[in-house]
Amino acid sequence: MKLITAVVKPFKLDDVKTALTEIGLPGITVTEVRGFGRQRGHTEVYRGAEYTVEFVPKVRLEVLTDDDSAQRVHDAIVEAARTGQIGDGKVWITPVEAVTRVRTGDMGNDAL
Amino acid sequence: MSNRQKFIALTLLTFISLIAVGALTHHHGDAAGLTTGNTADFLGSSTGGQGATSVPVSQVGINQLANESGHLHVAINFVWLLITGFLVLFMQVGFAFLVTGLTRAKNAGHMMMMNIAAFAVALIAYYAVGFAFQFGGVAPVANLGGASPLNNIFGHGNAGVIGLHGFFLQSGRTYDVGVLAFFLFQVVFMETAGYIIIGAIAERISFAGFILAELAMGAIVYPIYGNWLWGGGWLAHLGASLGWGNGAVDFAGSGVVHATGGWAALALAMVLGPRIGKFNKDKSPNAIPGHSIPYVVVGTLILVFGWMGFNPGSTFGATDLRIGVVAVNTLLSACFGFVFAMAWTAYKYGKPDISMSCNGMLAGLVAITAPCAFVAPWAASIIGAIAGLLVCGGVWFFDHKAHIDDPCGAISVHGINGAWGIIAVGLFADGTYGDGWNGIKGPVKGLFYNGHWGQLLAQIAHVVVGFAWAWGVMWLIFVIGKRFIKIRVSPEVELEGLDLPEFGVLAYPDFVLSSSDVGHAPTQTGAVVGPPTTTYSSGEPQSDERSPQ
Repeated sequence: MKLITAVVKPFKLDDVKTALTEIGLPGITVTEVRGFGRQRGHTEVYRGAEYTVEFVPKVRLEVLTDDDSAQRVHDAIVEAARTGQIGDGKVWITPVEAVTRVRTGDMGNDAL
Repeated sequence: MSNRQKFIALTLLTFISLIAVGALTHHHGDAAGLTTGNTADFLGSSTGGQGATSVPVSQVGINQLANESGHLHVAINFVWLLITGFLVLFMQVGFAFLVTGLTRAKNAGHMMMMNIAAFAVALIAYYAVGFAFQFGGVAPVANLGGASPLNNIFGHGNAGVIGLHGFFLQSGRTYDVGVLAFFLFQVVFMETAGYIIIGAIAERISFAGFILAELAMGAIVYPIYGNWLWGGGWLAHLGASLGWGNGAVDFAGSGVVHATGGWAALALAMVLGPRIGKFNKDKSPNAIPGHSIPYVVVGTLILVFGWMGFNPGSTFGATDLRIGVVAVNTLLSACFGFVFAMAWTAYKYGKPDISMSCNGMLAGLVAITAPCAFVAPWAASIIGAIAGLLVCGGVWFFDHKAHIDDPCGAISVHGINGAWGIIAVGLFADGTYGDGWNGIKGPVKGLFYNGHWGQLLAQIAHVVVGFAWAWGVMWLIFVIGKRFIKIRVSPEVELEGLDLPEFGVLAYPDFVLSSSDVGHAPTQTGAVVGPPTTTYSSGEPQSDERSPQ
């Protein structure tokens, strides 16, 4: 089993969700997050004094999949989230040791 | 037909029949309003008309008519004075939104509490002594009729310095309809000066220090200076004593209200010192963005609306038809102020700055407050445009040169532009209004219309004396006051936010407040606090939490 985590631009969330629904994914967890990458935020002027918006708002998606569909989900997110501009975000895959569905107690792939 | 459809049909039928009943009955009274209010109403309201059907053609009848006319004249003016006073009262809401929006969410409760407490505390101080100091010797106000009991001023002839009737609206027989209506209008003006200072002392003053500041404003700083301009005091008599035009002229209070508030705010900001994180070690300023731009815009618009009472109401009567000119001049100046501040920030910083544009609109309002009755619309436009630029320059100056922390721009909006408004009278007053102002024959005329420096000199005296008084007295009160009370909160409290330590409640308890601002505690509860040493603009992260992206 794999955990796919993606940090993407907030306004791309709908596109990503649609793409994942199309490939038949059962569930997504979404969190509002803030952070910075290589750009280190951006500079603005407020009442004549400069300041840096250090932490840019993003959304983080978490998706659990079986080993076979991980790459497909990964590719779908990358494609849907891309604008070609700075700050499009990242997607990564991590292995998962165990998963349990709380209601039924199903474990492993059955719980996905 | 289902039951549901029957129900809908029946309901429709009911409403149609209701409309039909209303349309078919043609009996009406005076729908055009042409016959309501006539001789019968006059005879019923005036004395001596019992049973009569027409006014007697005699001196008695003429006197009756004259009495009634005079009563109506004053009544209309009372209504005008009170309604415009209520509008000025509503400006409190605008100020509350404005200054709370321009500061951080962690202090929003403190900001709002200061606004409403200022109202109550300063009003009581003004009721007890302030009003008497200011207007105790103002003499009768023509538009409000009657023989005013406010006729006792300390200081001889042209040198009046303080009024002495009207303490607790009682001393000197001041329990009087005219005096109390006048009090309502004047107390809301004092309130305006009272909450101007909040903008400059925000996010760091202790509540006790704040109460001291409001008591000083309501009892001493505002009323005594107000006496010199509006209460029959010596600055208003510079025309009679030194031959300077019509004496110092300040129609609705660019100086008396706004500059006084602005300079008092300057003194307070200097004694308090800047917020933690506002200035770096090399004294360069950091931006500390406010938490709600929508609050700022709503507050500004409410203030514009309230100003429609502030300036036109200062005629003290609707029978002075100059109110039309006053209102339009006020709007023109406000809009020119906004546009010039918007254009300047766009030119200088690349984008129009919303809060500075709003400050520009307020700057235009402040600057036109003294000249609004004396100038033509074109001059009002110029006054507003210059005000819009002055406020941008002022905010820049206090940030980058004077290193005085003024979170809401109160000093630039009210102090600098109050002074500019006073000067503008001495330049642009066109001589169409103000005959007999301050007891001087002839209308108010500025340098550009009669080539004489007299009026301008009187206005400059108003600016200089106003600064020395408001800044000096407030500075003195606070320098002495801080020996006895704690005027500023501790650094820990300032970083955590003033809401919980000062009042035990958060403005926004359901939200986790972000920590990316300068001087901001990492979290609302259990914060690790201490003055930040890193600078905000260096691009270094201040938190160890890093979200990958």
